[in-house]
Amino acid sequence: MAEPHQSLRSIYERALREEQRALIGWATGLAVFSVVMLAIFPTISGNESFSKLLEAYPESLRKLFDVTDYTTGPGYLRSEVFSFMAPLLVAIFAIIWGSDLVAGEEDRGTIDALLSNPVSRRRFVVEKWAALVSGVLLLSAMLELTLGLLGPAFKLHIGWAPLSAAVLGLALVAISCGSIAFAIGAATGSRALARGIGAALAVASYLLSSLPSLVSWLRPVRPVSLWYHALGTDPLVTGFHMGHLGVDLLITLLAVLVAVVAFERRDLAV
Amino acid sequence: MDQPVAREPTIVLEHVYKRYRTGGGVSDLSLSVGPGEVFGFLGPNGAGKTTVIRLLLDLIRPNAGRIAVFGLDSRLASLQIRHRLGYLPGELSLYERFTARGILTHFAHLRGGPPWPAIASLAEQMDLELDRPLRTMSKGNRQKVGLVAAFMGDPQLLLLDEPTSGLDPLVQQQVHQEVMRAATEGRTVFLSSHVLSEVGEVADRVGLIRDGRLVAVERVAELQHRALHQVDATFTSAAEARGFETLPGVSNFKSTGADLHLEVAGSLRPVVERLAQTDLIDLSIREPTLEELFLAFYEQDNG
Repeated sequence: MAEPHQSLRSIYERALREEQRALIGWATGLAVFSVVMLAIFPTISGNESFSKLLEAYPESLRKLFDVTDYTTGPGYLRSEVFSFMAPLLVAIFAIIWGSDLVAGEEDRGTIDALLSNPVSRRRFVVEKWAALVSGVLLLSAMLELTLGLLGPAFKLHIGWAPLSAAVLGLALVAISCGSIAFAIGAATGSRALARGIGAALAVASYLLSSLPSLVSWLRPVRPVSLWYHALGTDPLVTGFHMGHLGVDLLITLLAVLVAVVAFERRDLAV
Repeated sequence: MDQPVAREPTIVLEHVYKRYRTGGGVSDLSLSVGPGEVFGFLGPNGAGKTTVIRLLLDLIRPNAGRIAVFGLDSRLASLQIRHRLGYLPGELSLYERFTARGILTHFAHLRGGPPWPAIASLAEQMDLELDRPLRTMSKGNRQKVGLVAAFMGDPQLLLLDEPTSGLDPLVQQQVHQEVMRAATEGRTVFLSSHVLSEVGEVADRVGLIRDGRLVAVERVAELQHRALHQVDATFTSAAEARGFETLPGVSNFKSTGADLHLEVAGSLRPVVERLAQTDLIDLSIREPTLEELFLAFYEQDNG
């Protein structure tokens, strides 16, 4: 339902308002996922039979799913939340939305009327990208608050500093993958292409970050993985790694640059 | 300060080429539209009308040729140009989940300008409901949102692509009035249509585009001046029908018994004066529609 006297200002504001319902949905989903994960924890923590069961697994499997220290709070969160599921969910959100932000306006034909206003193409791209980052940060904050505030209720105690380091890594995976999908959408006008490449990149990134613990010859290529720099350094235990985060940040900014330059140079919606 | 220097043309296209990979576009198109002029751009769908308008807006770039609006390069000074124009797309698509008010406040913010009361009064003139989401609106009402967005702030140049499609006659009339008002205020209007009668009603000049080429540009007044009037008369006797074929401007003379048919180019006066001396029973003088005129004219010029 529309508000009685809806008014809109910037492109940034409109982008977020258009995504409002999806954002609420994703945030709710993430919160539910976190609560379910927290609720399982008390049955696992300090449960010796569970530790024994895990020890019976081959070491390679435990490494792949990052299940060392499974029965401690941080170890549990790392393997159940931050190693795969939560970053993947937020990255999917960022890739879907990122691929649509520019290319979708061309597809739906709304870009003609919009850009007949005195708005530079650069400003259009930058405001759209800022909306993408805000959306990811919003979901990340939701995850952090759910885990940090509700964790103690389920006997899962984790400091805000390590939790923030992990959430930042998760946000960066999503922002970098989403920004690349965003750039491909802006450069080509094709949502499908942007979504496809973005998704492939996220998956490849994940595999290149986690597989080298099993396949040692993959170790040298690990640094090309966005996921590795953001989460492969185990921020939940080892904290921030500025150098690694910087790599992903640089790639993200490069993607935005490509988006701006390519979008400024081409014909729109033909 | 905003006075145009030496009344330079508002729009200049010089030998503009634009080809799409999928075909279509425009070839070697040259055109100039002056300030205060209403230019009607006419042609079938897919002939290149929208291409020209999107080139002016810098949404697409020419392969060759020069495009200037307000004397400014269409690409380098696009922002300055867009500050001073209003545009209605031919295939209008707006943000479905927002209300008309939401979209208009958004565009007004981006234009850095027109105060809300002025926009609201425009909307009221067109009988537009501001607080309904676009997705619940009819095509005609969406078109009104697009028109208010184009007209708001009284821009110096209006680019209207098929402005009255989907509108009821009453609103069409209002659009025509807005166009006329803009022209009397010295603002320029560039409007496209595939219906000549509509263009002819408001335009000073009409350009015909076919397969990406501008095949004719004519003043509407000139076209009307060259109008061939069809005259049919019936007299009391066959003798009365004589003496018309030698009058100036007469062609296609046919006379069967007491019935007469002829066509007159230019002034009707000689024929009417001769008619006044006869014993007339019935008379009809028909002016052809602009459509017929333009096509006849165009075919004449092309052998």
